[in-house]
Amino acid sequence: MQNEIKQSWHFNQPPQEVWDYLTKPELIEQWLMKTDLQPVVGHKFRFTFEAKPNSKYEGVVHCEVLEVIPFTRLVYSWNGGTMDQSRTYHSVVVWTLVPKEGGTELQLQHDGFEVLEDILTHTEGWKSCLKRMESALT
Amino acid sequence: MKTQTLDVFQVIADPSRRQMLLMLSKDSMTINSLAGNFNMSRPAVSKHIKILYQAGFISVTGIGRHRYCMLKKTGFDELQHFINHFDKFWTNKLGRLQAILNSKVK
Repeated sequence: MQNEIKQSWHFNQPPQEVWDYLTKPELIEQWLMKTDLQPVVGHKFRFTFEAKPNSKYEGVVHCEVLEVIPFTRLVYSWNGGTMDQSRTYHSVVVWTLVPKEGGTELQLQHDGFEVLEDILTHTEGWKSCLKRMESALT
Repeated sequence: MKTQTLDVFQVIADPSRRQMLLMLSKDSMTINSLAGNFNMSRPAVSKHIKILYQAGFISVTGIGRHRYCMLKKTGFDELQHFINHFDKFWTNKLGRLQAILNSKVK
């Protein structure tokens, strides 16, 4: 079972330019969400978006900047509620920029889903349990 | 004892219940042997087990006089669903970023 999200994207622009799209609100809004992010450690900010009318979803992700290495690495917490607002979760988003072939390899890691981790890492255990149960029942 | 219905996140947010799931991930156990590992009353243990059962994390089967707890897939599937949702979310957003940046290259 997958317990983290990892993606890698290539852009033709150098890290300095891609960095702007991760740290400048007016540029972030173009592709992600409205935000008041500032690339300063400890800065608390939010991503907001229009929730559908009549939805209970508040449309807010609460974040705090945890790490900033200009043009190289940006880390922030990512805490919010699920669509039906029945539960909350805590997680961490890590952006890493690697210069590559005149452009940038942008790596995204979204993990640290606080309540999930120790459970999900034990998935092999429950798989073998299910097998045992299966053989016990047949 | 009244047990309200909890969602998967609330269910596994409780340290005792996480501990129970971890123990059950190694082997199925009777309620009694599970309870022996916790410094709490038997009704309290039963309540936790009921919550885990209702959320689909475990099944409880009676074999003779013993009631066995075993992990069940349903609860875990809901967590997996949540992770998958975010994976798609980022693919969608970063695809948009790539389109924006590509269109800047003249």
